[in-house]
Amino acid sequence: MHHTVISPIREPLVEGAKTYHQITEDICSPAERAPNLLWIVGFVLSLITLGFGLACIFITIWWGIGTWNLNRTIGWGYDITNFVWWIGIGHAGTLISAILLLFRQKWRTGVNRAAEAMTIFAVMCAGLFPIIHMGRVWLAMFILPYPNTRGPLWVNFNSPLLWDVFAISTYFTVSLLFWYTGLVPDLATLRDRATGLRKKIYSFVAFGWTGSAKHWQRWESLSLVLAGLATPLVLSVHTIVSFDFATSVIPGWHTTIFPPYFVAGAIFSGFAMVLTLMIVTRKLFNLQEYITLAHVESMNKIILLTGSIVGVAYLTELFIAWYSGYVYEQFAFYNRALGPYWWAYFGMMACNVLSPQFFWSKKLRRSVVFTFWLSIFINIGMWFERFVIIVISLHRDYLPSSWSYYSPTWVEIGIYIGTFGLFFTLFLIFARVAPVIAIAEIKHILKTAGDQYTGPNATVHHHDDHGQSESVEANH
Amino acid sequence: MEQFTFTGKQKTFSIVLMVIGVLCMAYTYIAYDGGHHARFWTNFLHNSVFFTGIAFISFYLLCAHTLAYSGWHTLMKRLIESFGMFLPVGAIFFLILWFGTISEWHHLYHWAQEGIATLGHENYDRIIAGKSPLLNKSMYLILTVGLILFWSLFVMKIRSLSKAADRGDNDLATYKSTKFWMAIFMPVGAFTSAFFIWLSVMSIDAHWYSTMFAWYTSASWLVSACALLALFVIYLNGQGYLKELNQTHRHDLGKYIFAFSVFWTYVWFDQFMLIWYANVGEETIYFNTRLNTFKILFFLNLGINFLLPFFILMRNSTKWKIGSLGFVAIMVFFGHWLDFFMMIKPGIYTTMDVHGHGHGDHGHGELISEAGHHAAPMIELGWQLPGLLEIGTMLGFLGLFLFVVLTALSRAGLYTKNDPYYEESLHHHS
Amino acid sequence: MKTEKEVLFGLYNDEVDLMKAIKVAKDDHLEIMDVYTPFPVHGLDDVMGLSESRLHIAGFIFGALGTLTALGVMSWVFTRDWPIIFGGKPYFSLPAFIPITFELTVLFASIGMVVTFYTICGLGPGVVNPILDTRITDDKFCLAFETDGLNTSEVDNLKRFFNTTAAAEVHTKSISN
Repeated sequence: MHHTVISPIREPLVEGAKTYHQITEDICSPAERAPNLLWIVGFVLSLITLGFGLACIFITIWWGIGTWNLNRTIGWGYDITNFVWWIGIGHAGTLISAILLLFRQKWRTGVNRAAEAMTIFAVMCAGLFPIIHMGRVWLAMFILPYPNTRGPLWVNFNSPLLWDVFAISTYFTVSLLFWYTGLVPDLATLRDRATGLRKKIYSFVAFGWTGSAKHWQRWESLSLVLAGLATPLVLSVHTIVSFDFATSVIPGWHTTIFPPYFVAGAIFSGFAMVLTLMIVTRKLFNLQEYITLAHVESMNKIILLTGSIVGVAYLTELFIAWYSGYVYEQFAFYNRALGPYWWAYFGMMACNVLSPQFFWSKKLRRSVVFTFWLSIFINIGMWFERFVIIVISLHRDYLPSSWSYYSPTWVEIGIYIGTFGLFFTLFLIFARVAPVIAIAEIKHILKTAGDQYTGPNATVHHHDDHGQSESVEANH
Repeated sequence: MEQFTFTGKQKTFSIVLMVIGVLCMAYTYIAYDGGHHARFWTNFLHNSVFFTGIAFISFYLLCAHTLAYSGWHTLMKRLIESFGMFLPVGAIFFLILWFGTISEWHHLYHWAQEGIATLGHENYDRIIAGKSPLLNKSMYLILTVGLILFWSLFVMKIRSLSKAADRGDNDLATYKSTKFWMAIFMPVGAFTSAFFIWLSVMSIDAHWYSTMFAWYTSASWLVSACALLALFVIYLNGQGYLKELNQTHRHDLGKYIFAFSVFWTYVWFDQFMLIWYANVGEETIYFNTRLNTFKILFFLNLGINFLLPFFILMRNSTKWKIGSLGFVAIMVFFGHWLDFFMMIKPGIYTTMDVHGHGHGDHGHGELISEAGHHAAPMIELGWQLPGLLEIGTMLGFLGLFLFVVLTALSRAGLYTKNDPYYEESLHHHS
Repeated sequence: MKTEKEVLFGLYNDEVDLMKAIKVAKDDHLEIMDVYTPFPVHGLDDVMGLSESRLHIAGFIFGALGTLTALGVMSWVFTRDWPIIFGGKPYFSLPAFIPITFELTVLFASIGMVVTFYTICGLGPGVVNPILDTRITDDKFCLAFETDGLNTSEVDNLKRFFNTTAAAEVHTKSISN
């Protein structure tokens, strides 16, 4: 017989000496109440923004890509910058659910549900851009390899752009399956509390979940294997996005460090977005006892870590550009820092490398207000990073006669703003109809991470209560 | 047993290994004098980089675990600390290499040739001249010996803190101070190790560069370090030590070997594929040499560092069973030693006449293609594949590593009982 | 064909009580119909003696199928059906096939496992399974026995069992099979 021992210096992750029933109440109630005014205002604003974005997409499709300011030298601008930005944001969810699950980081339970939802919505926003960029969107199915009457003309399996199609669609599908499978038991909780039409709807989406021991066992096994699959998957997605650039021979794009550096950047921006959203959500839904300062601090540490990895990568690139002795590479980096787009480069450096360094201070890591503003800075910085990589590398190519400058049209900006509308519309709907925190998983960690069991204010100690812990954590 | 004793038998064993190593090195030095004893010096560099790197990355891993609030590894903390104690020894090896460079005992580094950065000199090389602010003899001293000593300071500091904790002087303050130094070491170690790698390994192919290279070598060290750690754990268990390390701890080590092997493969693939795909001559030359002249090693590398560990450790039970875990650990340890072999040997093999027939700038690659070149064997041991002398040299270094680590281990308690996560690690189970 | 069956079940307030009760039931050789909990209770499957889930084997098989599908289709298309040279690379350029092969491996394994999971558990969109008590998904831990074909003394024995194992509530319910 073993029993679990929790180090007394571990901070509790569930505060307020919760019982199982209180957890259910606290987390379910936002989905059971009538929406408050703040939610309604937010929802309407999101819908308006989404509508504006849809209008801009309509204009693009109706008149063509000419409504954008792309030119022969700068063939990728706002569209691909936004695509990479959104995909990057979509990385934190799977990271929190999968990698942190494998690394037994219990604090993931407070934020994984919302982060996964965010992943799915962010990938939807990202997917929009390449599809619109095709110009003739009605031929979008040409990117799929299926036997056809065009030759048979196959897609180019050697093209990183096609790898992207596979990577992103796989990522979307697997994230959705992972998220929904985790959601099913919690939807059953909502079902069992609802009446009338809501009960019918939740019955349908809860898949008939009963909580049978065998089902839980398989559910845990499934979660673990899906986590094992999703971990390399999440790495592969941004890796393949980085291949879009790195396989080419454009100075500033072709560098071998791109894959891990893109992945670190993606996690960095993803966590920043999770923080932005969760800091608002915890306040709005009164979930401070589930998303505690310990959670915020842990996420800020990841921000500090990934921000520093990104910083090391920036400097490595810069240094190796000099070291390479390759004049085009050297010019590309000189031009990044001191060319006409210098502001984007220094914006990127300031927001991504310098600003996270504030988190060396424990006080700032635990300041909710500071974290909120910093997370926004980081998201701006990560947008700059993609703009720097894409536009600056392209705008001065091998032929000085082709050098050019790019700034977006209002249509391009409108589509970008529109994706925020889409993202927040979906997130607000999600927060209304489903538990934003994984109820079952919080209950699962209550006895090892609740503040009545661990931390300085614990009232039940595992050592004093040997018999109980022994039965809780039976041998294997 | 709470105190490890370095027995006479173990001492003899590691000394025997060292003697084998010294004999092999001496024989290599005397019998193969081609290219300024290139075979000896490449072996020396190869093992110095490999074992120093393992010491560095083990310590790095310890810092990462502590900062991530990991509890399970605490039982092994002393052991990992002891791995780090090899770092100062590594500094001595690099000091010898540096002496060798300035005294022209060896010609491992193309950039160290006289006049290479001097315009108008017959050895002048424009590309290398551009790199000379980094690739020069003083920087070599600073960025190899200097950095290793700098890292050693952190190891010593952490070790003294962990010993202080054993004596129970103010546990929590010691713990916080440990975390403080570790938090500094994480970014500092990451950035400085890149310079160490660029200078000691990447600069052998002085014209070639890859931004991924530091990641790649670190990943290789990481797998080797975990494998060696698993082997130490299995061995110490067999000797009756660390009995509290149970199946779950071993399972975690198995997971690490599995996961880091996959990570290594990921980094390998990224570097290879991007260079293969873009097909820029300056970059592809690196893999071209390895794919053609070092064909067996090239594929062997992928086989024993990815395919075998991946398929063997995929099941849960093989990750903790001593037989399978030990087998894979030995295999990938050797596999990553081969990986470093292939990072170091080709650059020298192809640019230097390692057979000692005359001097000059003739690349070996050219010589092979010349008709009438004396019947070169199909596979040249010591270069295209490690021969017995290389293995003997490696055993010598391993013997020294064992000696240093076990000595360090015996000089302090086997357990860090006052670590706030000690109890968690003691009760670690899945 | 729908048949009804009688179920006698006890609700416990804590997983610790539940686990103790299951041990007692095992020792008394009582045949447990099922156990229902609001969250996955650690160690429950061991106490109940459930065999290890083999879902990961399904995952491996589906994954291998994905690998073969991806490699097979790409190789066939580029070496047999419509060979084209892209960027000076050989027809069969394995490094360029790796990303898609990896993605399809993960995709097949994930979809395959999820579908297998819902199928063997008898769960799915719109499925309605009998619920013994709505608080099982909240904070009650349920241990259920089937009482069809048991005589009164056996049922009384079960009720006594619930009393001695600190069940908070004991109910009977007839559910469709």
